[in-house]
Amino acid sequence: MLRVIKTLKNIKPIASNLTAITSSFHTSSKRLGGGDAEFMHRDTPDNNPNTPFDFTKENYARIEAIKGLYPEGHKQAAVIPMLDLAQRQNGGWLPLSAMNKVAELLNMPKMRVYEVATFYTMFIRYPIGKYHIQICTTTPCMLRDSDSILHAIEKKLGIHVGETTKDKLFTLSEVECLGACVNAPMVQINDDYYEDLTPKDMDQILDDLKAGKKPAPGPRSGRFASEPLRGLTSLNEPPKGPGFGVRSDL
Amino acid sequence: MNKLIINSSKKLLSSSLNKNILKSQTALLSNVVPDNRIEVFVDDKPVLVQPGVTVLQACAEAGVEIPRFCYHERLAIAGNCRMCLVEIERTPKPVASCAMPVMKGMKIKTDSPVTRKAREGVMEFMLVNHPLDCPVCDQGGECDLQDQAMAFGSDRSRFTDNLFSGKRATEDKNLGPLVKTSMNRCIHCTRCVRFASEVAGVDDLGTTGRGNDMQIGTYVEKLLASEVSGNVIDLCPVGALTSKPYAFTARPWELRKISSIDVLDALGSNIVVQHRAGDVMRILPRLNEDINEEWLDDKARFSYDGLRRQRLVTPMVRGHDGLLKPCEWDDAFYAIADKLSRASGSQIAALAGGLADAESLVALKDLMNRLGSENVFVEESFPGQASGTDLRSNYVANSGITNLEQADLVLLVGTNPRYEAPLYNTRIRKSLVHNELKVALIGSQVNLSYEYDYLGDSAQILEDLLNGKHEYSKFLAKAKKPLIVLGSAALQRKDGDALLNLATRLSEKLRTQNGCPNDWRVFNVLHRWASQVAALDIGYRSGIEQIKAQKPKILYLLGADEDLVSRVDGDDTFIIYQGHHGDRGAEIADVVLPGAAYTEKSATYVNTEGRAQQASFVVAPPGKAKEDWQILRALSDVLGNPLPYDDLDALRKRMGEVSPTLTSYDKIESASFLPLSVSLSQKVKPALSKEPIRAWQTELGDFYMTNPISRASLTMARCVQSFKKTNEPVKQTQANANP
Amino acid sequence: MSLLVRNFSKLNPLGSIRSYSEVVNVFGRRSVDTQAADEKKTIATIPENTESVKEVSGHPEVHLTGRLAKIYVPPKNSMQSGTFGTRRWRIDFDNRDRWENPLMGWGSSGDPLSSLQPEFGSKEDAIVYCQRMGFRYVVEEEREIKRRIKSYGANYSWNKRTRVSTK
Repeated sequence: MLRVIKTLKNIKPIASNLTAITSSFHTSSKRLGGGDAEFMHRDTPDNNPNTPFDFTKENYARIEAIKGLYPEGHKQAAVIPMLDLAQRQNGGWLPLSAMNKVAELLNMPKMRVYEVATFYTMFIRYPIGKYHIQICTTTPCMLRDSDSILHAIEKKLGIHVGETTKDKLFTLSEVECLGACVNAPMVQINDDYYEDLTPKDMDQILDDLKAGKKPAPGPRSGRFASEPLRGLTSLNEPPKGPGFGVRSDL
Repeated sequence: MNKLIINSSKKLLSSSLNKNILKSQTALLSNVVPDNRIEVFVDDKPVLVQPGVTVLQACAEAGVEIPRFCYHERLAIAGNCRMCLVEIERTPKPVASCAMPVMKGMKIKTDSPVTRKAREGVMEFMLVNHPLDCPVCDQGGECDLQDQAMAFGSDRSRFTDNLFSGKRATEDKNLGPLVKTSMNRCIHCTRCVRFASEVAGVDDLGTTGRGNDMQIGTYVEKLLASEVSGNVIDLCPVGALTSKPYAFTARPWELRKISSIDVLDALGSNIVVQHRAGDVMRILPRLNEDINEEWLDDKARFSYDGLRRQRLVTPMVRGHDGLLKPCEWDDAFYAIADKLSRASGSQIAALAGGLADAESLVALKDLMNRLGSENVFVEESFPGQASGTDLRSNYVANSGITNLEQADLVLLVGTNPRYEAPLYNTRIRKSLVHNELKVALIGSQVNLSYEYDYLGDSAQILEDLLNGKHEYSKFLAKAKKPLIVLGSAALQRKDGDALLNLATRLSEKLRTQNGCPNDWRVFNVLHRWASQVAALDIGYRSGIEQIKAQKPKILYLLGADEDLVSRVDGDDTFIIYQGHHGDRGAEIADVVLPGAAYTEKSATYVNTEGRAQQASFVVAPPGKAKEDWQILRALSDVLGNPLPYDDLDALRKRMGEVSPTLTSYDKIESASFLPLSVSLSQKVKPALSKEPIRAWQTELGDFYMTNPISRASLTMARCVQSFKKTNEPVKQTQANANP
Repeated sequence: MSLLVRNFSKLNPLGSIRSYSEVVNVFGRRSVDTQAADEKKTIATIPENTESVKEVSGHPEVHLTGRLAKIYVPPKNSMQSGTFGTRRWRIDFDNRDRWENPLMGWGSSGDPLSSLQPEFGSKEDAIVYCQRMGFRYVVEEEREIKRRIKSYGANYSWNKRTRVSTK
């Protein structure tokens, strides 16, 4: 309940609070971190049209490369990669001024950029922690006890889904399947997957991140990828030669 | 009586059938060889349509109307509401008829069980999230969703609110003082988004989020900064976008609807004025393909509250203490007669303003002539050096408004059509989008809502273009159907004569040398005032300078409110003001005669293309105010020199004598005297001014309050206020001189 | 269109005979089923009549003289997409002053004709009505609606300005 109240603190009318509670049950985009996941922009001190934003020199070079991928007259197609570039440059989130900058660079109406940015849940339009922890709680992960991972994170960081730690280091989001079901349970932290987790692993990962280290991504169970943990259970003998199982009279 | 009604039902049944067939024939025969057409069957009825039309259009040809929300004749096809699903034989699923092109021999079933079920299903989905607001919704009674739910929906819903989450709730947006939003009601048809982007050219509206959480809005809070924003109210098929000034004031079935025309710009847009018990409640556009299609600009639509404010309701005479005092009509007339009896004809002058109707203009001129004066002037000046106002082709938009859609190049000179005639601008934009029209502009570099080639703001450019010295000349020379649109604001300049001269000569040169079709006219004047063309037709001239120089003893202002003459110009001038608003004219007057606004009289106006149209009597003028021609007629009686018309018919007959164009309603008399005008204009060689050509209005804030009615309107004042508050600098158009 | 029909009736050996197949109320409305086929059997024919009924119509003289009737096809309501209201010819009389009733605040009028909006299947019928009732009339010709070919594909055209970036 505390979580609900906290996530709702940005929404003004009480009537819409009720809707927001319930609609968060079936809308993954609403559960992203940062609190306000509404599709309306509200000026805040750290996110308003005057927030300074400009691409770095290196990124301008990248922009040229990105635009080069698209034919003349259709450069607007570069909007998604450019927004991604802006988000990466800006520490994982996309301020309004960055969207405006992209609109300006691609010579397209601002609204058309806002449309794209609000459509995709991977564009985050509000300040977010340095490490965005996205924990998968969809069925396969849930069956592999992703709840314990979630609780471990919550306990460790003292935040709930949709919140950011006070030191602006971590933001926790609950997401749908990230396609690593064989290595369930798993979390994604920024661009890296951490798989085959136990609560202890999770603790350690968070400790490492806090300490400024970069824990090795991938499975924690000692697997290399998604192969069976205790050796092959099938295909464990050399393949049979030609003619195997064929009738002898043929 | 009964028998008569029975009589009248003759052919009623066959008529609607015949009519549609005929309609389709006329529509299709106009430009396409009949062989081209393909046959489709709508409910087993064969109908011939052009290839490429949609199933929905084919059904319309057959007289079957398909329910729809997102589809709109004048907007791009979206295909997102799914209400237009129909069954087509040998297709596995119902088809969205608005987006599906016809194919030969298609058998469309618009009323089959499959179709009905599909519509019911779509309607059920729509109503899942649509609030039961109808009793408190302004759209109630003229709501597409309401009607179509009744006609095509199911009588019950399978929607159960298992989670008690309620219907989807969406935050209301603030789009400014004109459009009220109630976004819970939105069904996501995106008509408003498409209108803003395609017609208005303002990409401020969009959809944010996705799926069930999608919402229409501007993402950042901002005013819907468009001069035609009111149209999204009409377009909205539900009550999500409604009119703010009209909110909760009336229900559509209480209103009486009178067809009329708008006079707040020179286009003469067709409108329906809706009133209840003597109050104008709202103004809506009326379909006229030749003028406004089905759009209306915000000034025309929303300044009706100005008709109730600042009105002159009683005659007034300035007393010895210098204050205007209410009096009776007789007192005012005698005061005028007293002064007139002591003035000779040449000491009298009349000045007509921009909202004067043709009837009162004729009556005023007749009266002045009877008093021995030829000094009848209009506020908006028009060059008169060469043939000037003698030839009609010099001062109308010769090619008409619709021909903008045929043109391949438009050269705008000294005008900003976006604010001077917004619907002229949407026409240009339409042609630009659909017909690859090229637009060039000489004048202030303004945002026209589309990209154009900016040539500069010097008058010299026009001369260079004429001589072929300018680099843009090559584009002009290539145009097969060029148009030159000269703004009347530019003609107010000292070198108006020269501009007109150059523009006509350039037009004639293009017409003769570019191989235009025979009936193609190049030269257009885009006026700013509704009265101007009629006034020039009747024989009014521009003469502010003359008034200022002559200092007439008596000056009769007929709705002249533009502050062009003032007390300082003539201290002992006796000023009579006749008009409907206590604006700048009444302020300086010695006698005030209260007249009728355009919704209060049956009056003729000639629009910028020379098309005469009638405004209708909707509500009575307030207080003691009278229709304008009647005031002049009564005054002439008091003066002992009665005008020879006692009723409107007789006056209209007289108007026909003055100029037949004034009474040939809804027709454009093609004027073809331009060659003559050009030959006359070559004799004079007026000098060009070095001053840059400036637009009359450069930003949206200038657009709202331009005449006595809109200046008195609270809604318009709010618009200006909110425009100033948002304080967004005018967006610079990315126009380049070298395309 | 109605001229066309008229010519056919001239060819009819019975002379100018009008036919009707269904009684229609004052407002020209029939059943609500808009999709039903329009062809119905003729159930009776009545002779065309042009004699004046002004004298026996029961209208007070004051409301008849000088009235101007406008015969027109109502335009589509711009607030809605339906066009059913635009299929018949209608008569509107010149508008007269209305006021708010001081007792109840209702709209009041001294003009009984202001509530009369007869509808007709054709322009000619409306004209006959006006002539027989002794109204002066003007006819506002029907405006042809221009239908343009529209295609969904235009939204995605790669080299035209019709390409839209919106929904």
